[in-house]
Amino acid sequence: MRRAAAALAATIASLGAAATHALEAGSPLPAITAPRLAASGAPVSLASLKGQVVYVDFWASWCVPCRLSMPTLDAMYRKYSSKGFAVVGFNKDVSNADAERFLQRVPVSFTLAQDEKDAAAKAFDVKAMPSGYLVDRKGVVRRVHRGFTAETAAELEHEVEELLKEPA
Amino acid sequence: MRILLLAAAALALAACVSVAPYQRGYLARPDMAFEPSAGTAEALGKTYSAKEAASGGASVGGGGCGCN
Repeated sequence: MRRAAAALAATIASLGAAATHALEAGSPLPAITAPRLAASGAPVSLASLKGQVVYVDFWASWCVPCRLSMPTLDAMYRKYSSKGFAVVGFNKDVSNADAERFLQRVPVSFTLAQDEKDAAAKAFDVKAMPSGYLVDRKGVVRRVHRGFTAETAAELEHEVEELLKEPA
Repeated sequence: MRILLLAAAALALAACVSVAPYQRGYLARPDMAFEPSAGTAEALGKTYSAKEAASGGASVGGGGCGCN
């Protein structure tokens, strides 16, 4: 009886504990490793990107602003990758087929990862779709973009340029 | 003790689940919308209120003047 009560209490407590704090500017980049989306090869490891300016983006085919953010991020990646800019796109679709259909219309060249069991989304505590985390060369989150508009694109390009100038 | 356990069980049985913004893949489907086709719903509503000679009732209150 007492054990059952304790188990119930623990269940209820764990439900409440799911509300973690959102990852904000100043936090270190969580060390997440995730399988690639629709590609073979070594899993994507965020820790291995240290030394580069990284934009970690959470996207999905059902996310309307992602139709703007994905081509914009791809253009930015092509422009700045030679200077040390990396983009990792965590897909939040229910099935990979949905993601692939989206990518046929909006092809991107940056790294895409699956997020099995929401591990990455939970580690970042994503509050909006899309959410983007701009990380400096030292591995510290410097800016969080929730949602995506043309204004975000202009701001982000400026921030990337500034962060690329900073030493590792 | 028994009452406490019962209360805890009742709480645990509550089917309230918060859906995170990144888990809305199914909710974002068009067939999950409250009104899948806004245009059709508007046209049907207008026809209905004209036939009934009364508007309103579905959402906000309105007069029965039939002037719509």
